[in-house]
Amino acid sequence: MNPKEYKYTQEHEWICSEPENKGKVGITDYAQSQLGDVVFVDLPPPGSQVEQLKKMGEIESVKAVSDLFAPVSGRVLEINQAVINEPALVNQDPYGDGWLVRLELSNSSELDALMDSDKYDEFVSRLNEEGSE
Amino acid sequence: MKPLKKTPLNRVHHELKARMVDFGGWDLPVWYTSILAEHKAVRSRAGMFDVSHMGRLWLTGKKAGAFLDRLLTKSVPRLDIGDAQLCLLCLENGGILDDLVVYHVGVEQYLVVWNAANIEQKFEWLFRWSGSDPDIIIEDSSSNTVMLAVQGPAVCQLKNLKDVSHLPRFGITQTKMGNLSALVSRTGYTGEDGFEIITDAANALPLWESFIEQGVKPCGLGARDSLRLEAGMMLYGHDMDTRTNPFEAGLGWLVDLEKGNFIGKNALLEIKHQGVKRKLVGFQMDGREIPRSGYRIFKSGQEVGQVTSGGYAPSLGIGIGLGYVPIELATIGSEIEIVIRNKPIPAHIVNRRFYKGGASNEPQRI
Repeated sequence: MNPKEYKYTQEHEWICSEPENKGKVGITDYAQSQLGDVVFVDLPPPGSQVEQLKKMGEIESVKAVSDLFAPVSGRVLEINQAVINEPALVNQDPYGDGWLVRLELSNSSELDALMDSDKYDEFVSRLNEEGSE
Repeated sequence: MKPLKKTPLNRVHHELKARMVDFGGWDLPVWYTSILAEHKAVRSRAGMFDVSHMGRLWLTGKKAGAFLDRLLTKSVPRLDIGDAQLCLLCLENGGILDDLVVYHVGVEQYLVVWNAANIEQKFEWLFRWSGSDPDIIIEDSSSNTVMLAVQGPAVCQLKNLKDVSHLPRFGITQTKMGNLSALVSRTGYTGEDGFEIITDAANALPLWESFIEQGVKPCGLGARDSLRLEAGMMLYGHDMDTRTNPFEAGLGWLVDLEKGNFIGKNALLEIKHQGVKRKLVGFQMDGREIPRSGYRIFKSGQEVGQVTSGGYAPSLGIGIGLGYVPIELATIGSEIEIVIRNKPIPAHIVNRRFYKGGASNEPQRI
């Protein structure tokens, strides 16, 4: 299930808030299941600025290339080196070891624009219904 | 929008909750569980693919053989009964209309298995040359049969394929598999040993299930593409089309210029005499990036070509691709760059047969 304490974008990224206006970002279980086996991730370099809902990187599965969007604006503090070396972590543990970047938020009120887990669960079940028609 | 075409196994794919895709108007599975797992199953043991979207065409009658010989780049009279041959269908200007396999099944009986792509254009082409000759009978059996490709090093150990394990590569035979009768050939598109089975659509489900019971893994188009690319096999519509000729595509070995007249021969003689200006090569990335079809190829800051097939090679753990480059760059070891995310990323030209194991359809060449 999608973790309760995380916030979600319509593009299927999650952010988990940490103390001092920081947050960890990754893609959701739904996103990884849609992409299939992830084999390459292109992440923004530490120190760079990202903007809410703007493209900040790319995730490649065997089959396709998908854009990665920033859930909030901020500065990249750290990228997950383990995922660079072993992209399959995104499939195996999207909410844990498969995290992608840590950000320092420039405006924490941007979190209010994101979905909570209930809303995101609903959003995904609607997509699944549409997909099975 | 036209409704998607369905193979006789369409329901099975949906029941297995495969990820489905519109592939040239067909509703086909890209993967069932994971492309990597399916790829690995074929390289290590056995996997099966529903390839019923491929065109299956019967040519019979007194002049069927001569007719095919006039259209195809390889000698049809030299093809014994029970043998098959990969060959090309070329336009008058030498452009490739399709790559296909022609099977000599029986006396005055030929089966052609060709790509699902540009099917109308190909039928038009066929009928243009056959006219209404009563000695050339053309029948499309694609919709009333199913075609299954069972591929992998363990295929000969499967109980319903044991009896055909004597078939040579590119051999074909009419046989009984349990109580269903089928046409079985030792062919495939994965670089592994394998068989392709054609039988009545009514037999589709029992055939599929017999392989499931034996642990053969269902595989989708995703693994089909990664397997063929690793084996250096080309995909029509990507690596070749009507604007490419066999010599630049590295398919000169499929063109028999010694045989009698065939459509495109004069143009191909001329092209061979002139020499080609570009060539299809295989390349691998120096780093971890993945090249994709349509990406640009650079050399020293200049655009020199385009990637025609590209992707992640699961058996090698790196990005590989095929693409056309000027003939002077088409040597093994030659350094090129692939433009990925607007940056030229280093790669180098390697033998097109990236994956060296298995039993490839094609001899080793660049």
